[in-house]
Amino acid sequence: MNLIKSEWRKLVYARANWGLLIAATLISVLSVVVTPFILSSQGEMFGLSLESTAAVDSVYANGISGYIFAIILGILLMAGEFRHGTAVATFLTSPKRGAVVANKLAIAAIAGILLMWISTGISMIAGWVALSTFEEAGSPSDNLLINTFIAATIGGAVLGIIGVAIGTLVRNQMMAIVGSLIYLFVIDPLLLALLPDAGKWLPSGLITAMLSLDINAPELGFDTSSYLPAFAAALVLLGFGVVFAALAITTSLRRDVE
Amino acid sequence: MTAIAIEFDSLVKQFGKQRAVDKLTAKVSSGRITGFLGPNGAGKSTTLRCLVGLSAPTEGSAKILGAAYKDLANPLTRVGTVLDSRGFHPSLTGKQNLKVVAAAAGISDSRVDEVLAMVELTDASGKKVKNYSLGMKQRLALAGAILGDPEILILDEPANGLDPAGIAWLRNFLRNLAHGGRTILVSSHQLAEMQNTVDDVLIINKGALIAQGTIEEVTQGSTLEEAFLKLTGGQLS
Repeated sequence: MNLIKSEWRKLVYARANWGLLIAATLISVLSVVVTPFILSSQGEMFGLSLESTAAVDSVYANGISGYIFAIILGILLMAGEFRHGTAVATFLTSPKRGAVVANKLAIAAIAGILLMWISTGISMIAGWVALSTFEEAGSPSDNLLINTFIAATIGGAVLGIIGVAIGTLVRNQMMAIVGSLIYLFVIDPLLLALLPDAGKWLPSGLITAMLSLDINAPELGFDTSSYLPAFAAALVLLGFGVVFAALAITTSLRRDVE
Repeated sequence: MTAIAIEFDSLVKQFGKQRAVDKLTAKVSSGRITGFLGPNGAGKSTTLRCLVGLSAPTEGSAKILGAAYKDLANPLTRVGTVLDSRGFHPSLTGKQNLKVVAAAAGISDSRVDEVLAMVELTDASGKKVKNYSLGMKQRLALAGAILGDPEILILDEPANGLDPAGIAWLRNFLRNLAHGGRTILVSSHQLAEMQNTVDDVLIINKGALIAQGTIEEVTQGSTLEEAFLKLTGGQLS
């Protein structure tokens, strides 16, 4: 419990982590609130009328946009130790590195979940408020709320863990963050649009798949029929978490701490 | 017979083709202050990093209290270490930085206040570390080292960057700790300062041990600086 308490203090004492929570919430709220305005004016062009359940689901689905910040949070928790030299104090206090990294992975998972719950929860409320201003807006599908909750929980935990693993492998914090953002903003969406058979196995496709959306909007490069079933997507994403966690622990055991 | 607190046995650390530590065999006696001296790049910091488990030895071993550092139960309560003035999160206050360490070692927050008072940082404990002077960071590092009230202190260049007042403060601080019967292994370039502070000396050059003994045995009537220059071939930096 000592290590968890220490890692928790690192998490809550650093203002940058609170900044990430605020940024994740703002981005998610913005994504959710803007979408009904776009669909209301141009939805027909995309084959998504705001009256349809699919369109309303797509509005709320943007509530999980904060997962990008969960990975950055994980990177900051680990690579920040090397950037500021606090890894020395950390590993002097607890020289059993596997235990330190295991606790850091646990805190990153908890932090990722909390970040996703808060940002997704607030953006869902914002989405409800935004949609209530459109008389023609339909209703969301019955399972949307629970699916979103599951996607936010598993997505937040796994991406937090992946962030710690990246921070262990790429100790340069800036390089780790920039590389992850390029991957999540550019490579993942491109693969999803151009090579959906490959993209559906990657984090963005898996998290979206957990929402069980039924949307076919080729103009947006978005067709959920090619995605994995929600349960399979959750298992694959958790598998990513296990592989990256093992990678983080084994890497930290081998390398010297500067 | 004097108890041995720290023992290096044929320690080797190789970085690619460069051998930073070369079959170092030496012992540090309990309850004494030992100066760990050598020119820049002699391998002092690498040796200390191997000792506390941050670097893995290529060959040989380094033991504290008869065990590898990583095998000590709650090592912060046995060994306090200052490796450099980094190691603190700049955006956290001095007190928050120590509370993070204290939590990991199961040490109470009241002890954090105690050690901050011992290094005279109570008034600055709420300031972010990025606003600390180098001297304040060194004192915070020392506070971290004594957090667990350890019997052994390992200090790597603790006087680096300190002004004369800071060095005088450090001298008194170390003397007070030594009077409590602690073992202190301190590396330093401040040879005149070491002469007045240490009981024993270890001198290394190019990673290998070149002198070991009490300060009287090593200096043989000369100053520590003269003995050091003679032993290291005048490579004092």
